[in-house]
Amino acid sequence: MSALVLLSVLGVLLLYAGLFGKRTLLAPLGIIGLLATMVVIRSGWMMNVPLVGAMVRFDHFGSVFGQALTLITVLLFIFGIDYYSRVRENVAEQYALIIFSLVGAVLLISYSNLLVLFLGIEILSIPLYILAGGKRDSFRSGEAAFKYFLQGSFASGFFLMGIALLYGSTASLDLATVQASAASASGSAHMLYLLGLFFTIAGLAFKVAAVPFHFWSPDVYEGSPTLVTAYMSTVVKTAAFAAFHRLIAGMELPGAIQTMLVVMTLLTLFLGNIVALRQTQFKRLLAYSGIAHSGFLLLTFLGSDPGAPGVLFYYSITYSLATMGLFVVLTLAKRSANGDENIRIFRGLYRSSPWLAIVTMLLLLSLAGIPLTAGFVAKYQVFLLGIEGGYILTTAFAVAMALVGVYYYVLVIREAFTPREQAPELVVSRLNWLVISFCGLAVVVLGLVPELLRF
Amino acid sequence: MALLALLLIPLLTAMVLLVATPTRYARGIALFSSLVSLALTLWLWSNYQGIPVQALDVEWATAWGLRFTLGYDGVGLLMLLLTALVYPFIIGAGYGERLQHPSMTNALLLFTQSFVMGVFTAQNLLLFYIFYELALLPVFFLLLYWGGERRRAITVRFFMYTLLGGLSLLFGAVYCLVQVEGFNGDLSALATLDLPYDTQVWLFWVLFLAFAIKLPIFPFHGWQPDTYTTAPVQGTMVLSAVMLKMGLYGTMRIVFPAVPLGVEHWRDTVIVLSLVGAIYAAVIAFRQSDLRRLIAYSSLSHVGVLCAGLFTCNRLGMTGSLYQAFAHAVLAIGMLYISGALKERVGSSEMAAMGGLKARVPRLAVLFMLVLVNAIGLPFTQSFVGEWLMFAGLWQVSTWLSLAAVSTIVLGAIYMLYAYQRVMLGTDKWEIEMSDVSLRDHLVLVPLVTLTFVLGVHPRPILDLVEGPVQVLLTSFPSLN
Repeated sequence: MSALVLLSVLGVLLLYAGLFGKRTLLAPLGIIGLLATMVVIRSGWMMNVPLVGAMVRFDHFGSVFGQALTLITVLLFIFGIDYYSRVRENVAEQYALIIFSLVGAVLLISYSNLLVLFLGIEILSIPLYILAGGKRDSFRSGEAAFKYFLQGSFASGFFLMGIALLYGSTASLDLATVQASAASASGSAHMLYLLGLFFTIAGLAFKVAAVPFHFWSPDVYEGSPTLVTAYMSTVVKTAAFAAFHRLIAGMELPGAIQTMLVVMTLLTLFLGNIVALRQTQFKRLLAYSGIAHSGFLLLTFLGSDPGAPGVLFYYSITYSLATMGLFVVLTLAKRSANGDENIRIFRGLYRSSPWLAIVTMLLLLSLAGIPLTAGFVAKYQVFLLGIEGGYILTTAFAVAMALVGVYYYVLVIREAFTPREQAPELVVSRLNWLVISFCGLAVVVLGLVPELLRF
Repeated sequence: MALLALLLIPLLTAMVLLVATPTRYARGIALFSSLVSLALTLWLWSNYQGIPVQALDVEWATAWGLRFTLGYDGVGLLMLLLTALVYPFIIGAGYGERLQHPSMTNALLLFTQSFVMGVFTAQNLLLFYIFYELALLPVFFLLLYWGGERRRAITVRFFMYTLLGGLSLLFGAVYCLVQVEGFNGDLSALATLDLPYDTQVWLFWVLFLAFAIKLPIFPFHGWQPDTYTTAPVQGTMVLSAVMLKMGLYGTMRIVFPAVPLGVEHWRDTVIVLSLVGAIYAAVIAFRQSDLRRLIAYSSLSHVGVLCAGLFTCNRLGMTGSLYQAFAHAVLAIGMLYISGALKERVGSSEMAAMGGLKARVPRLAVLFMLVLVNAIGLPFTQSFVGEWLMFAGLWQVSTWLSLAAVSTIVLGAIYMLYAYQRVMLGTDKWEIEMSDVSLRDHLVLVPLVTLTFVLGVHPRPILDLVEGPVQVLLTSFPSLN
């Protein structure tokens, strides 16, 4: 709760700082505020206390995810210092909107009432609609914002419909009550319940970009400013998955919903990986790789293992760290290539800046799931969960798709390590170097010592 | 501790080379490191009592079946010995190649050595897998940076093929870890898995696929000829002399104990596939005009027989296969070195362009012949011992299979001698002056040839080494023996 208040105040403060023209203060202020939020969450103050009429409850799950999300946002802000140094207008607003969106994310990881879940999604998304259109003179950015807004509203409609149906069948919006009545509902009430759950999950699937609710993701990722894309594919995705988990964890899922999840997982794995093979634009590639990783994350929902939230946490955070680093590298490479996003821009990277190339390689290897990186540990745990839950064929399919996934990451590594006469000259500011190195080291260290990211 | 040092020496040297990039001394440093490794391995060998050694056992992530456990038995030691022995030659071969960035090349070679040694000493299923995948990465970069034409596509194909096997192995490992109560991933516990027959039948391919690709046996060999031809000589040496043995070792160490019933079920299929591949590769080798490609296909042919010998699941066949693995490593290094030396002098490895070289480089011609007789498997060479044992083992399975295997020897003699004829004999059409065997060539080839004949006449030390582990393996197949 205190985190929510703190973040909201921080957002307002950032707006004021912008109003008084203190541009250089923005990012440091934001970072200090975020770190303070992290400390507050970590201290465990008012943990496990039902708040706001028992609609929000900060438990262990929320606390762990909350810390990780704020940490990733801190990285994003450090990245933002350099990223926004060339932008003249509305920088404060963009920072503030990210913070406001983070408030929604915090709600998503701590809700215990379906209405708060809806509120969380809306608070998370509405700033994003604006942020996606952040480059006001860019046609693609506008297109991204508009697409995101339309499809997002559509998903919200779905979602509300689902909540209404659930309310109709259980006469309650309380999460625990709704979950408990999965077994008891019968007859037409059961039908309502199923439909309600179906629509709710569809709404969430939209947010995590699971097939067939993924259509917005490549276009929006590509059109949005890179910093916003980085935010969407890390914090937003993680928060949405956490919300998803809270919704269905610990409940006896009806058979039909179980089937729906399996089908969604298979489709997401398949489409994300296969379509990614055809991508030549790096940003789009990352969008499809994001969809593919959603597939692996969905696998954690299939069984009912008590270790599932830990795996979800580990996977989503390590994925976020790797993706964040790659977006920073992309920004730098894109700058030196005058806005080109083709993966060719990485060619010769090893010649011009070896360290950057090595880190890029590590990040990509982590996404690909090669041993000794965090990505391997994450995938391995997902496979363990899948087989433990009895989904042997689904897991086998996921393993096959992991192989496909390796291919498109390796293509990028190949580019970075192919020599070229005129190697790209990358200008790396010290802070960006810090972010990239942090992400690169993190995926290796977390891969070697997975216990560091204990749930 | 010595084992850990064996892993760390190449690893740390490689890191030093990467960071300090001592261009001029890179080869010397790498050579020194590989010699230290060799000395250490020989020391391990002299202290080996015939009982499996468990050297190190550290917690890593025990919760999901990963422990850092190192150890070795006779077969592991044989593989360590083989790796340590060929590495100085591999690095020495680099003195002839005019490659850019020698520190980087040697660093990658040493990384591979470290990870391969890890594969041969890991006593935990997941640790094995991790090393197995890691060994792939340096080779990937070696190919990408120093390969020949069309390397970009070939490199990725090689990577994907191997990774397909690797992931399949991972799936199998996870399946065993989850399904079998009380199995903690320890390799020595694999024999007690006791999976049901139906499971073993499909799990066999899940586990074996990785090694079938690594070896490779027919029809999983799609990556091999191109990769062997395109890779720089040293890369091909690593692939054929060392990494190929990972496939053999893995089959023996993981597939055989884990799914013995599956092995019995598929035994004949695998033997037939291997032999079909061996004959097919031998025929293709005959048609090659490029010496490197010929070596690639001859390697494919040898590996087929090797795999068939292993899958006889009897004492003679398995012993022969392991012995031949050692012989093949020595042979592969020799052959590849000669092809490199010829290319250095002539400028191409097209055999049509050569011919009549004997007059120019008489000593090299003699050394080539001495390496060649090992490839053909004449008596008093290492290959003779290994192949004879394998044929005897196959004979116990079926006379026809043994005959098929013997036919590869005949074919091998044909294409090898034909190659010799095309390269060395004929009219001397060379106007240019070329140097005969240099000191470096002597230093590489003479020890290799000596080794071939010494171990060909006196194979006891190696046979003693593998006897114990083979006996243990035989207990997995009571019905076959």
